Amino acid sequence: MLGPEIAWYLSVAAFLFGIGSLGVLVRRSPLIVLLSLEIMLNGANLALIGCSRLYGGGDGQIFALAVMAVAASEVVVGLGLIVAMARRGLALDVDRLTTLRG
Amino acid sequence: MITAAWIALAAPLAAAVAITLAGTSISRRGAGYLATGAVGASFVAAAVAFVAMWGRDAEERAVLSTGWTWLSAGDFSVGVTLLIDPLSAMEMLIVSGVGALIVGYSLGYMDGEREERRFFAYMALFVFSMLLLVMTGNFLLLLVGWGLVGLSSYLLIGFWHERPTAVAAAKKAFVMNAVGDATMALALFLLIWKTGTLDFGTAFARVDDLSPTVQTLIALGLLGGAVAKSAQLPLHTWLPDAMEGPTPVSALIHAATMVTAGVYLVVRAHAVFEAAPEVQALTAWLGAATLLLAGLVALVQTNVKRVIAYSTMSQIGYMFLAAGIGAYASSMFHLMTHAFFKALLFLAAGIVIHALAGEEDMRRMGGLRRLLPRTWWAFLIGALALSGLPPFAGFFSKDSILAATWASGGDGLALYAIALAGVFLTALYTFRMVFIVWGGEPSAFVREHVHVPGRDLVGISMAIAVGTLAVLAVVGGWVQWAILYTPVETWLHPVVEDLVRPTVAEDVITSVLASLLSLAGIWLAWAMYSAKRVRVPEAPALRSLLERKFWFDEAYDAVFYRPAAALARVWTRWVEEPLIGGSIAGVALGTRELGRGVAAAQTGFLRTYVLAIAAGAALLFLVYLAAR
Amino acid sequence: MDAGNILVWIVWFVAAFACLGSAIAVITFTNPFYSALSLIANLGSLAVLYLLLSAEFVAAAQVLVYAGAVVVMFLFVIAYLGGRADVPWAGGPTWQAVAAATASAALLLEIVVVIALKAGDRLSDPATVREGFGGPQQIGRLFLSDHLLAFEITSIVLLVAAVGGVILGAHSRERAD
Repeated sequence: MLGPEIAWYLSVAAFLFGIGSLGVLVRRSPLIVLLSLEIMLNGANLALIGCSRLYGGGDGQIFALAVMAVAASEVVVGLGLIVAMARRGLALDVDRLTTLRG
Repeated sequence: MITAAWIALAAPLAAAVAITLAGTSISRRGAGYLATGAVGASFVAAAVAFVAMWGRDAEERAVLSTGWTWLSAGDFSVGVTLLIDPLSAMEMLIVSGVGALIVGYSLGYMDGEREERRFFAYMALFVFSMLLLVMTGNFLLLLVGWGLVGLSSYLLIGFWHERPTAVAAAKKAFVMNAVGDATMALALFLLIWKTGTLDFGTAFARVDDLSPTVQTLIALGLLGGAVAKSAQLPLHTWLPDAMEGPTPVSALIHAATMVTAGVYLVVRAHAVFEAAPEVQALTAWLGAATLLLAGLVALVQTNVKRVIAYSTMSQIGYMFLAAGIGAYASSMFHLMTHAFFKALLFLAAGIVIHALAGEEDMRRMGGLRRLLPRTWWAFLIGALALSGLPPFAGFFSKDSILAATWASGGDGLALYAIALAGVFLTALYTFRMVFIVWGGEPSAFVREHVHVPGRDLVGISMAIAVGTLAVLAVVGGWVQWAILYTPVETWLHPVVEDLVRPTVAEDVITSVLASLLSLAGIWLAWAMYSAKRVRVPEAPALRSLLERKFWFDEAYDAVFYRPAAALARVWTRWVEEPLIGGSIAGVALGTRELGRGVAAAQTGFLRTYVLAIAAGAALLFLVYLAAR
Repeated sequence: MDAGNILVWIVWFVAAFACLGSAIAVITFTNPFYSALSLIANLGSLAVLYLLLSAEFVAAAQVLVYAGAVVVMFLFVIAYLGGRADVPWAGGPTWQAVAAATASAALLLEIVVVIALKAGDRLSDPATVREGFGGPQQIGRLFLSDHLLAFEITSIVLLVAAVGGVILGAHSRERAD
């Protein structure tokens, strides 16, 4: 195989996952939280495809495609919720949505 | 024969279940007809079984039938077993026959009662339980029947549950019976331990090999159950209070059938009692003491049903006496005739109570002879049979008990004297009741309230039962006259053999003596309560002793109830409230505080939750790495 | 090291740094619009990485589904809601931000440790793959044979999401009236 070994790809995947999780943890806008989630999912996808290449099987790619479909679904529902919240005049700030406070 | 027996057992249960499940979808009278029909069918089946048994040779009359194995543990197993033999056939006939008459009578007596369906369901349940008790072939099912009749009795005594006295009486009966049930259960445990079986045949065969102590303990335990169920000393105090139940209940359960179950038990388990002669003697003495004491108390009672209740105790005392000295056939014979004439007395008294709008106090009655003539004759027949005058039923059965007591030797003569005194008392209290209720001029209360039953369902159903029982109270005794012929004894011979057999001379002398004493009692009652020639003796001390029923209730109250209540108060104050109540309150408080603390973690901030997930994942990852 | 190899290394470096850089850009921009645009760059550079891993079909799907459909949907919503900027790294308690950074760093560190120390040897010897690996033909075969169930479940998930989106939209419209 030409170019870097699989470990390099996996490292990039790990960094993507870490950056994404940081975004989810610190951002307050639900839109950007969703975007960060996409980054996390893509990090996982990159790891899956890298391992698929490592073992020479197509299963990892199938998994990655399934993750893509789930991500698309999640975006539909998440964006639908955000639009619904905006229409009701709720603040688009996860820190102010505290109805579940115990 | 065995099929008929199963049908006899199942019919009342089916009726009870059907009435219970049907609820309001059958009419009140429909429930009554159903119960009467079922108990009647039970009687027909019992009669079929009886006739079929009659056709067999004496030694082949006992049949065991096991429906299925009910429980088994190791070598020990108990089946749902019926034992149909001459003894149980006789009991089946009495229970289902008298039961059918009395349930039919209830059709009229309970007519218009608000909860008739419940009443008839209970009555059918009772008949089933009683049949189970007398038909079963092992002690465990006997105990089941024993408990079930106790339950039915409880339910029916407390039938008028809005009366506090009825509820209290029901509880009293249940608790007293529970004492007996407990001693009986202990005896059964001993039997299982020592003989390894509860089947009648095997258990009786093995009892002989046990040590005397064990034999005595087993017999004592069984006697405890019998004494409680049959209201003998010292567990007798529940029976008079049980008169709070409807009159048909008093007639069926507390006179004719259930209370004689103790006698049946002693006769059925005669092998156990014969193995323990001291307990046998105790049985006889308890019976004698009860018959005397109950006869004395009956002299001063003012409630008509209570007089009859005390007379029931007294008559069962005779049966216990006979069973204790080994005159089993006489005992069972008296059980049968007593079922007839005592049910008759109760039902006739029930008509009086019904006619007087529920009044049971004799002092407000009087002069009813002309108002209820047919009932008067029925009641008179019952009273004569109870007093034991020829040719009424009581004469034949009671006199053979008396003669057997004389013939038994040993303590026999003392017992004989007591029993003869009992005959005099019986005649005295019975005819005191007769003269007060029926004699003289109608009292103001009677004139105001009397309501003679007409020729409708109420009157007819009551008339049929009372008429049939009146005939039985006369001819029922002709089945056996010990001097001339003894078919009852012969019939029971394959099951129990009498230990004493009086000579003809003893029989004749006893009959003459008892009849004279009985007549003397009747004359005294007439002289004191009708002709007023003899003044009723004024002995305040004696009178209060009798009215207080020998202070049994007060004694039990002081010995058992008050210490228990005091102990309960102490435990409530020092254990229940601080320890148990306190710990529960502490648990509740702790849970609430914990919840409050945990609730603080629910910040409602989405990011905090996600952070918790991320931190958890990181920690898990760390654990995973360390574990690898 | 031959020229082809060097070329692949160069492409990899460019793509990987573009990928990480755009990812950081996504989570740092205050304006969601710019964040979404950065996500396009991120997804595109990831597609290049997929190509380097011989996952041609996934790379194509990545561009079509993600960069094409998903991000466009994001952009629509952002445009609909208007540019509501928020301040990154702000709001909530300070310990929250510190703890978030710590947790992310810990996760990253742990994954790197696994890759570098625990699984290093096993990652150095990729299988040789034949012509057509990761192509549409192979993926299609796998989807309709070994992974048919996954395929069907995925379609159901998409259907449910579509219905959910419709209901959320319809519901909010009704309430808005």
